[in-house]
Amino acid sequence: MIEWIESVLRLTIQVGTIYLLASLGEIYAERSGILNLGLEGIMIMGAALSFIFTLAYGHLAAILISIIVGVLMSLILAVMSVHMRLNQVVTGLALTMLGLGLSGFIASPEIRRGILLTLNPSLPENLLTTQEAPKLPEAPIPLLSEIPILGGSFFNQNVLVYVSYVAAPLMWFILFKTRFGLSLRSVGENPAAADALGVNVYLVRYLATMISGGFAGLAGAYLFLGFQPFWQEGLTAGKGFIALSLVILSTWNPLRAILGAYLFGGVETLQYRLQLFGLGAQSPYILAMLPYLVAIITLVLISYENIRKRIGVPASLGIPYSREE
Amino acid sequence: MSLRIKTRFGILRIERRLSYTRMFSAAMSILSIALAFAVVGIILVIMGLDPIRAFSLIFGVYVKPPLLLESIKQSIPICLSALGLGIAFKMNFWNIGAEGQLYMGMIASTGIVLLHEYYGFFQGWMLLPLMLASSFILGGAWCLITGFLKAKLSVNEILPTLMLNYVAILVVDFLVHGPWRDPKGYGFPLSIEFPSYAKLTLIYGSSAYTGLLLSIAAAAAVFVLMEYTRPGFEIKVVGQSVNVARYAGISVSGVIMLGSFLSGGLAGVGGLSIVSGIIGRLRPGASPGYGYTAIIVASLAGLNPWLIVVTSIFFGGLLTAGGALQMNMGIPGSATQMIEAIIFLLILVGEFLKRYRLILERGVRD
Repeated sequence: MIEWIESVLRLTIQVGTIYLLASLGEIYAERSGILNLGLEGIMIMGAALSFIFTLAYGHLAAILISIIVGVLMSLILAVMSVHMRLNQVVTGLALTMLGLGLSGFIASPEIRRGILLTLNPSLPENLLTTQEAPKLPEAPIPLLSEIPILGGSFFNQNVLVYVSYVAAPLMWFILFKTRFGLSLRSVGENPAAADALGVNVYLVRYLATMISGGFAGLAGAYLFLGFQPFWQEGLTAGKGFIALSLVILSTWNPLRAILGAYLFGGVETLQYRLQLFGLGAQSPYILAMLPYLVAIITLVLISYENIRKRIGVPASLGIPYSREE
Repeated sequence: MSLRIKTRFGILRIERRLSYTRMFSAAMSILSIALAFAVVGIILVIMGLDPIRAFSLIFGVYVKPPLLLESIKQSIPICLSALGLGIAFKMNFWNIGAEGQLYMGMIASTGIVLLHEYYGFFQGWMLLPLMLASSFILGGAWCLITGFLKAKLSVNEILPTLMLNYVAILVVDFLVHGPWRDPKGYGFPLSIEFPSYAKLTLIYGSSAYTGLLLSIAAAAAVFVLMEYTRPGFEIKVVGQSVNVARYAGISVSGVIMLGSFLSGGLAGVGGLSIVSGIIGRLRPGASPGYGYTAIIVASLAGLNPWLIVVTSIFFGGLLTAGGALQMNMGIPGSATQMIEAIIFLLILVGEFLKRYRLILERGVRD
C-alpha cells in the first residue's frame, strides 16, 4: 500500500513538473500584460531540440539550447505584440504552429540525420536512426530521500524536478517582494501609470515574455528528457495549452501554480492507473480526455470565482500599449 | 506622439498610416507570401535541399489539372471552416476550435451512413441531405458549448475551444477503434467505406466540383448573412463593442450563442467534406490540421468570404504539394506545416506594415 501511494505520488510530481515549469514563466508574461499563446509551440521545440542535442552533445547542452531557443522564439512574439501591437492571440497561435511544424521537420528521420552529422560527425550509426534518447538520471537527495513515502516521491527525482521546487518559490518572491516584480505587475495592471512613474513598459514586457519562453523551453526539455524520452511528432499533445489554463487557475500566483500543476499531474496519473486496473482497457481514449475536460471545468469554476471576488486577471492582459493613445 | 526607437543611423519612427488602398493591402499580402517562400528557401538550402526544385514542385500543383483538382478537394474543409471562423472573428469570438468542429462533423456524417448501412434507416437519396444537416448541427453544438460558457458564465473562449479539439479527436479515436470499426477491416481502426451515393462525387465523378459548389454556396450564404440580415448586423455590432450592442438593445448572449453555433456548423460541414469528399470513410487523424490552416486563411483573406474561397485553394495546393515534396525529394510532411506557419507570421508582420509605416530620420539625435 505504501509503495502504491509512493509511486502514485511520484508520478503525479513527474507529470506536474511539466505543467509547473511551463506555467511559472507564463505567469510572468501574463502579469506584464502579454498573453504568450506560443507556449505549446515553444515546448515542443524544446522537446525536439533536447532529443537532437542530447544525442549529439549530452543532457546539459540539450537543456541549455532548449532554453535559449525558447527565449528566441518568445522574442518573436515580444517584437510582434509589444512593438508591432499585433493581436496576441493570433501571433501566439502562429508561433505555436511554427513550433509544431519546425519541430516535426528537424526531428524527422531524414532531416535529423543531417543535423546530427553536422553537430557531431563521429556519431555512430545507431544514434543517427534511434527515436529515443537517454533519460535524465534520477538523483536521490541523501537523507531526504530516506523519509518514508515523501522521500521516495519528492526527493528521488531528476535534477529538473528539483529545479522546479526551487524556481516556484523564487519566482513568487521576485514577483511579489522585489522592485522588478512590482514594476512587472504594475505594467500589466496599468501601463500608462507605470510609464508615468518611470518604468520602461516595453523593456519589462520584453523581459517577461522572454522569461516565459525560457521556462517553456525548459518545460519541453523536461517533458522529453525527464518524462517521455522517445520522439513522436506532436508529442506535447496540448500540454502547453493545459499549462495556460493552469495559469488562470493559479490566479497568476507562482505558489498556487504548484498546487494546480500537481492537480493536473494527479489527473493524468489517475488516467494511467485506471488503465492498469483494466478500467477502460477497451477505451483508453475516453480516459485520455480527462485532462482536457478537467481544464475546461477549472476554467469555468475560476471564472465564476473571479466574477464573485473580482480578483485576478491582470487588467491590461492582451492589450498593446502605446504612449500616443 | 509616435513611437521612436534610437538606432545608430538616426531615429526610427513608427507612425500610423491614416489610410491605405485595397491595392496596397493586396500587394502587402502577396509580398508577405513571397517573403515567406524566400525564408523557406533559405531553410531548405541550409538543410542541403534544392529550393528551386522544391518550389517548382509546389507551384506545379496549380497548373497540372489533376493536381489542381486535388488542391480544390483539399481546400473545401479549409474553406468551410474559415468561413465559419470569419463569422466568429467578426463577433470578436476567438474560435480556435475549428479542428474539433471538423471532427464532430465527420462523426455526424459517418453516424448517418452507419445508421443506413447497419440498420437500414433512410433511403439512399436521403443520405447526403441528412449528413449535411447533422454535420452542421453537431459541429455547431460543439462550438456552442464554448459559446454558452462565454455568453452565460463569461468564460474566455480561447482555451475551451482549443481543449475541445483534443477531446473531439479522442472521440473519433474511440469510435473507430471500438463500436464503429469495420468488421471486415482486418482490425484496422477504420469505419466501413461510404456507399457511392453518400460521397460528394455527384458531378464528373470528382468531389472537387461538388465541393467547390458547396464552398461557393456557403460563401454566398455567409456574405448575405453578414451584409444583408439583422443577425449578421448584430454579430458585427457585438464584435465592435459589447457595450454599444447592449445599449442598442441587442441580446449579447443570444448573439454570441447564435454566432458560435453558425461558426461551428460551417466547420462541421467541412467535416462532411472530408469523410465523404476526400477519404470516403472515417479514420483517426482524418484532418491534417485543416482547422488550424483555416485560421491562417481567414486572417489572410481579411475575413472576406469570397477571398476565403480563393485563399483556401492556395493552401489546399500547399497541402497537395506536401505529398509531392515527400515523394520526390524526401522532404518530411511537417515541412508544409512549417511553410504555413512562416507565411502566417509574415502575413501578420504585413498587417503591421499596412497600418503603420517606418520612417528613419537620418542624423537626428535627441
